[in-house]
Amino acid sequence: MQTVKMVISGAVNAGKTEFIKAISEIEVVSTERRATDDTKLIKKETTVAMDFGRIQIADDLVLHLFGTPGQKRFDFMWEILSEGMLGLVILVDSTRPETFRETNRIIDFFVSYRDTPYVIAANKQDRPNAWSPDELRLALRQPPHIKVMPCVASDRESVKNVLLELLYVILQRSED
Amino acid sequence: MALVGNIRDFGLSDFLYLVDRGYKTGGLHLKHNDETAILFFERGKLILASRKDEDRKGELLVRLGVLSAEQLSSVMQQMQQRGNGVTLTQVLLDSQLLPAEKLQSTLQTHNEESVYGLFGWPEGEFRFEQGQKPATDSPVMPVPVPVENLIMEGVRRIDEWGRIKDRIPSTDMVVKFIDQPGEKAKGVKLAPEEWRVFARINGRDTLAEIAQKTNLGDFDTCRIVYGFLTAGLVEVLKKPKPAPLTSSARGAQVTEPPRLKKSLVNRIINRIRGM
Ligand SMILES: Nc1nc2c(ncn2[C@@H]2O[C@H](COP(=O)(O)OP(=O)(O)OP(=O)(O)O)[C@@H](O)[C@H]2O)c(=O)[nH]1
Ligand SMILES: [Mg+2]
Repeated sequence: MQTVKMVISGAVNAGKTEFIKAISEIEVVSTERRATDDTKLIKKETTVAMDFGRIQIADDLVLHLFGTPGQKRFDFMWEILSEGMLGLVILVDSTRPETFRETNRIIDFFVSYRDTPYVIAANKQDRPNAWSPDELRLALRQPPHIKVMPCVASDRESVKNVLLELLYVILQRSED
Repeated sequence: MALVGNIRDFGLSDFLYLVDRGYKTGGLHLKHNDETAILFFERGKLILASRKDEDRKGELLVRLGVLSAEQLSSVMQQMQQRGNGVTLTQVLLDSQLLPAEKLQSTLQTHNEESVYGLFGWPEGEFRFEQGQKPATDSPVMPVPVPVENLIMEGVRRIDEWGRIKDRIPSTDMVVKFIDQPGEKAKGVKLAPEEWRVFARINGRDTLAEIAQKTNLGDFDTCRIVYGFLTAGLVEVLKKPKPAPLTSSARGAQVTEPPRLKKSLVNRIINRIRGM
């Protein structure tokens, strides 16, 4: 059995758990109620350590989705999770510009030195005051060739679209 | 839809960049404690900035000494007679009470000063109402002003590392002119110190090297380059990847993402499409 791996990252509360839940065949999340640091102001439940999702592609092939923990104290997990990843989805809560800088740090972490294929998902597009993908591209200073996709993480079609875009980027770089 | 946030987290210069690159039209409303400000943009350029409600009326021109009170009331009368959404600025220009250049330079100085003051705000909520236009009786500048110089001026006032670190995480990064700055680069006015840095940019030297060669120190060099970055003149890049490590090197070294066969990626694509 061959497994391939993708990483779903983004700042606290960006929608990583929701995204993986929407598409995965199984649900393995590790949450805790009492979040630490500044997280508790934002939400009741946050991911501890990581999320994990799985999609069986064929009898001999499976796709694993790893969601990174949002809280800073788990940053050490990133290095481990990024090992051997095929590509990366960066989720952004499009309604919270205060997380854009953190998002840039995350992109930097994953993309520095490794030339990782990635796409950005402008999540929570269903909410009022969501910044549009075009506005997010400017806010995050992403070059024109990086895809910034509109996303609603609870909607499976939307999640599929984001993953497919990432796969097209990966496809361009893969060998015949 | 409105864009909302706080300039503590998404700075005013970041916002000006967004307005510029996104050719935005609309009103940016800012609030810090009891102070408020409004900036209006048209297709990415500034047309009006004010810190006080009364500065958004024709009386501002009287206070700035370019119109007498009588002249203003006659202009206002003409404006009402013409109706049909005609603007104060249009009527003023048509009336030839004062040269267009005089109107422009007076208002531009006033507007720029209003914006510069905002860079001192440590925080403040903002709300950008897309498409919003100033009232027709507002003293709008006849010629919209590009925002790059506002950005540069704002950056000159930065006195802490925090902001700069977001864009320039290390002095090991290389500074390079962006490939197509287009028209932008033409209008930017640089101070002598900034020119010293500007002249050293060659796409090879790191910030640390530029700081050394210009004798400006890391902070000032990074601050200046941050300004260039924010104005969209340069980019900073990580140094080219280190040479591949030999097998004797161990630990968490540089790992390239695995290269897969196209056929395998296509299988994944087909599966996800079918879900
Ligand atoms: N309206 C809306 N809400 C969303 C969307 N995606 C996520 N949410 C909500 O946003 C909150 C955070 O989502 P999570 O999936 O827990 O975010 P996370 O990135 O896993 O958060 P951490 O694990 O704490 O870092 C939850 O209340 C979700 O229901 C979306 O597309 N639209
Ligand atoms: Mg989570």
